[in-house]
Amino acid sequence: MRGRVVSLTLLALVVSIRLAGAHHSFPAVYDGKRTVTVTGVVTQFRFVNPHALMTLEVTDKDGKVVTWVVEFAGRLNLSEIGWSADSIRSGEKLTVTGNPTHEPSPRLAFQRIVKADGSELLPAAAQRSDTLEEERRERAKRRAQQP
Amino acid sequence: MNRLLALSLLLALPSAGAAQAPLQTLEGMWSNPPTTIIGQACAFYCTDVLTDRLNALLDDPANDKRPLGELRGDASARERAFIESRLTAAAKETYPLDPADDPGLLRCEPWGLARQMFAPHQIEIRSRGGDQIELHYGEWDARRIVHMDGRPRPAGPVSLLGYSVGHWEGATLVVETSGVAANQTGWRSNHSEQLRVTERFTRAADGKTLNLVATFDDPWGLREPLVLRKIWAWSPTSQIAPYDACEPPPAVKRGVIP
Repeated sequence: MRGRVVSLTLLALVVSIRLAGAHHSFPAVYDGKRTVTVTGVVTQFRFVNPHALMTLEVTDKDGKVVTWVVEFAGRLNLSEIGWSADSIRSGEKLTVTGNPTHEPSPRLAFQRIVKADGSELLPAAAQRSDTLEEERRERAKRRAQQP
Repeated sequence: MNRLLALSLLLALPSAGAAQAPLQTLEGMWSNPPTTIIGQACAFYCTDVLTDRLNALLDDPANDKRPLGELRGDASARERAFIESRLTAAAKETYPLDPADDPGLLRCEPWGLARQMFAPHQIEIRSRGGDQIELHYGEWDARRIVHMDGRPRPAGPVSLLGYSVGHWEGATLVVETSGVAANQTGWRSNHSEQLRVTERFTRAADGKTLNLVATFDDPWGLREPLVLRKIWAWSPTSQIAPYDACEPPPAVKRGVIP
């Protein structure tokens, strides 16, 4: 099971990096091999194209408040998985996991958000993974039934 | 005399109607590809090399435990090698283009035709009345006009999306484009002003998908024509939102080729 979760996560990362790259070249800006997780309070969510953007105030271990920027796929992409301008609200406390920039900076490419109530927001590619894996199992089943 | 005029108009109308009738099969909003393995693999573009390889890998029980992303990576690598084999020496000098040199990233410059036509998300196909069809893309909010009046491209400067003329072959919309300014392609190479593209748009028999087969010819960049495919799903409720908040990134790293 753990292996499957890891596989799906890897697939989601691979696919989402490629999808995000359609709008512009995410790999030139973000390191798709690493992830960083931060928790903070949303100060702004802009549901725009080509990329939605969120600012988050994160208090570090020394008590200093740092403003992080989280970059998402665009409104075109997010609206097709049911997101709206209200999917993230100012004042919300969130835990965000994303790919960091190549050079250290308080900026992430979105991979996963966990809200205060435990609900999750995931990229479109991650939401499609289960459907694709199901298709794969069906193909294998049909193949096994062939004489 | 009036009767004669009316009769002439009546005779002329079915002809014009017949020219536009196939548009009804394509007209409307299409968006992301179907959520299938092949559909997602063709989310931007794909070649037969990629789909054949991916299908072969999926049909081999020895690959059942391999992650899907790994199989896609295998098929994509084969496709890249195929595309590279089609490039001229001149185009190979900069292939694959470094994403850090992407003008869309660095300066928020809209894409040229050979990239725009493979943009993800929506394509809306509408009649503009008369002899024009509009192709409206969600990405960059780009619009192309297809001239269906049968006249060739008029003399004039090249442009980002070129000049498109179209005709119907049965229910297939055939669009031929030239006059495209030299730019980057969707497959990470450069192309010249000599680029000519023939697109064939067809609605699948089940009505649920729009299929594009595009043939590229560029004596400067391609040793022989390159054929790429794309799939959109019927998406009548999808809407194209404003595309007005592009910001260059604070920093980019060179040499990261996905």
